[in-house]
Amino acid sequence: MELTDILKALINGLVYGSVYAIIAQGYYITFITTKTLNFGQGDFVMLGSLIGLSTFITITATGGSVWIAFIASLLLVIVILGICGWGLEQVAIRPLKSWHSIGWILSTVAVSMIVRNVAMLIWGRDVLMAPSPFGRAILDLGIMKIRYHDIFVLVSAVVIMLLLYVFLKKSLFGKALEAVAFNRDAASLMGINPRLMASIAFIIAGILAGVGGVLVGPMVHPGAFIGLFLGLKAFAVAIIGGIENPRGIFIGGLLLGVLENLFTLYSTSMKEAAAFFLILVILAVLPQGLFGKRVKEKF
Amino acid sequence: MIKAKWWIYQIGIPLVLLYAFPWFFNNAHTIHVAQTFLITYIVIVGLNLLVGLSNQLSLGHVGFYAIGAYASAILTMKVGLNFFASILISALIAAVFGAIVALLSLRAKGPYLAMVTIAFGELVSIIANRWVDVTGGPAGIKTSVPSLFGFELGPIQYMWFIGLLAIIFTAGATNIFRGRFGRTFTAFGNSEVASEVLGINVRKWKILAFSVSAFLAGVGGGLFAFQNQFISSTTFELNLSIMFLIAVIIGGSGTKIGPIIGTVVIIGLPQFLHNFVDYHLMIFGGILLIALILLPDGIVGALTKLSFFKKFSSKKVNTELGILHDDREATIDLPDGISGKLLELQNISMHFGGLKAIDDVEIEVLGGTVHGIIGPNGSGKSTTVNVLSGVYMPSGGNLLWKGKNITKYAPHGIAQEGITRTFQNLQLFEDMSVLQNVMVGFHRHFKTGFLKNLLYLGQVSNEERYYAQKAYDLLRIVGLEERAYEKASDLPYGEQRLVEIARGLALKPDLLILDEPAAGASPKEIEKIMDVIQRLKNAGLSIILVEHHMDIVMNICDYITVLDFGKKICEGTPETIQNDPRVIEAYLGGEEVNQLVAGTKFVG
Repeated sequence: MELTDILKALINGLVYGSVYAIIAQGYYITFITTKTLNFGQGDFVMLGSLIGLSTFITITATGGSVWIAFIASLLLVIVILGICGWGLEQVAIRPLKSWHSIGWILSTVAVSMIVRNVAMLIWGRDVLMAPSPFGRAILDLGIMKIRYHDIFVLVSAVVIMLLLYVFLKKSLFGKALEAVAFNRDAASLMGINPRLMASIAFIIAGILAGVGGVLVGPMVHPGAFIGLFLGLKAFAVAIIGGIENPRGIFIGGLLLGVLENLFTLYSTSMKEAAAFFLILVILAVLPQGLFGKRVKEKF
Repeated sequence: MIKAKWWIYQIGIPLVLLYAFPWFFNNAHTIHVAQTFLITYIVIVGLNLLVGLSNQLSLGHVGFYAIGAYASAILTMKVGLNFFASILISALIAAVFGAIVALLSLRAKGPYLAMVTIAFGELVSIIANRWVDVTGGPAGIKTSVPSLFGFELGPIQYMWFIGLLAIIFTAGATNIFRGRFGRTFTAFGNSEVASEVLGINVRKWKILAFSVSAFLAGVGGGLFAFQNQFISSTTFELNLSIMFLIAVIIGGSGTKIGPIIGTVVIIGLPQFLHNFVDYHLMIFGGILLIALILLPDGIVGALTKLSFFKKFSSKKVNTELGILHDDREATIDLPDGISGKLLELQNISMHFGGLKAIDDVEIEVLGGTVHGIIGPNGSGKSTTVNVLSGVYMPSGGNLLWKGKNITKYAPHGIAQEGITRTFQNLQLFEDMSVLQNVMVGFHRHFKTGFLKNLLYLGQVSNEERYYAQKAYDLLRIVGLEERAYEKASDLPYGEQRLVEIARGLALKPDLLILDEPAAGASPKEIEKIMDVIQRLKNAGLSIILVEHHMDIVMNICDYITVLDFGKKICEGTPETIQNDPRVIEAYLGGEEVNQLVAGTKFVG
């Protein structure tokens, strides 16, 4: 049936798009505070999904309940990826002397190579199967079937976005982050430590990547080499939405996810090509992304 | 003399090394690695022009590489062209795509620019992967054995052939580096707006930089297609673009020998690491990270910082240009003065959203005068300068230059008309010497084209020497001749302002706009700057002077316009302005302010 196919593509797109959006929020946070971002964010997502997978399997194999296993793996991933984010800032961002963008692009790529290699040594070169806490349960709506995991991902994504929003807008930390984003020097005169804020931003970005990984794991087949593809998608989303606009990024994520899946209906082989073509068109017309601010430079 | 040396180092020695190579390392594997090295090196030379000189970023070079490879494979196999002809045609096709990518990314900056180039590279690699009928996809397609004039080239001959091309392209790139093209690339890479107001059409030059770079990547791809007589889409992935970029940065971006070192690293390292294939990525990533932290300017950049090399390189610049310093006084070369109306602002407005930064302003600038524009902070002075120089397009009104409407002109167009400016927030080309900064100012007077510069004909070196001497003379006028070979960013603030003035003079302008030339300068430096402006005035140059320092304005200006809150509040000679109550009110606050200060009146 034509209509259910479209509906299915729509929902699929929203689910994938919301995961891209969560990962891409990590780009936003570090970019506004440090004007840098982790080009290896995708490999952090990969690491999150694999750590989550191993924890989940270990606990369920020893007889732990599915939900305890899930929560434990989520917590472990949050802790480890938070540390990874902090470490990345320490080794690849802070010590760089040149502030030219190529420097941090390559230094974060370097870290991602190391991460990928470590993951390959631990989990091997092949892709794995990641079980969802919902198993393979499916919600039958009559006209179409949806996996519970997909619904869970969509709901989680919205909750994470809201939490992030509240954290950034209402908490003192969030306000400090925004102050640094607005004017680093002035913020530092007000007693805010920009370096601490940079660390916090990268910790949050790491956590977002990890959580994204745990959510996306059962949807893709995680393996040491999936990072590049996920990171690229998330980066595309951040750019389409406008990297300094968190709501734009969320909308951009959903948009890319949906469009991609609609393209799939037309032709699977050209789906990816269409996405990148779209990006080129958008950026040629709106060089700051769909929802980015246009700033007039002053001379 | 210099010519002979150039031929020896640039052509002779590399040729000998290339020819002798198979005698020392004659095994199939080494020859294959040498081919790969040379092919990659050609790509890196091109990327270095783009990244190192013009400060652009490309994470999509694999796209041009793939286009070169597939186009030449198709041209030989399906059209039946000779392999070399098809490589050249494919490289031109790649160059066209380079121009397209440049056009798409003209306004994109930082991560956005990265995304444009990534998207292009990915698009090409997806098409290579999926358009199986043409590209063969991951299973690949066969190409022919390369042959020239009926002779099939074996591995060693093919290596010689690639090497010959590499030597030729290196020579071309070196020529580009040292002439006006390299200087212009570096200039807009340092400051786009400063390049524009000196008459450089940055859009055109960016397209050129991308095209040249893509051309070389296309040549590399074409050569690669015949290396194994087989290509498959699995080669052309984002990782390769990243590798190319790594080579440029580790080698030392913007340096002449950086590409060689960088290519040695990315091609050589895997050779040494092939026993540790499981740890390959980790070792590579670790080395990259350490290199970026410890050697931010790359290996060559770090070496040139050593005092031994520094001495060597600065001496070379000096003698090569053969600049004379004689005792006669340097004269200012200016166009003939024009009396009467030079520039008219008719009802000019500039709105940012709801803010009227300047509102319905009318100013007439007469030829041969120094016209001051003053006003308190936020009165619209800087906006006026930005409108006058074409940096902002006014929201309303007309700009007439010698009666001609130039309202819609881009900054480089306005510069071509003979108007240039300096910047309140300095916009020097920081990677260049003081002398080179000034030489960029001569942009619109240079005549030699790309091909002549590629070959560095005698005409080109004559032109270089002529304008180097002129630039030096301009530096004598502002009193900076002893600083000529220092890096512009190493000079004190006040002297940097003088460099900007000299650079503007190089354009041979009819009108020079000085945007707060004394801001941030020490009293002694201000004296020097004032003296320079006074001498320019005496020489008959028309100047618009935007300034805070009242003594400068009142002493030098013939006529003054006062702005407040974006509106013109009065104009006249310095004497009229000094006694105008509106000006005093704008600067010191009126009666109301006095009452507030005295506490006899309260707000609200």
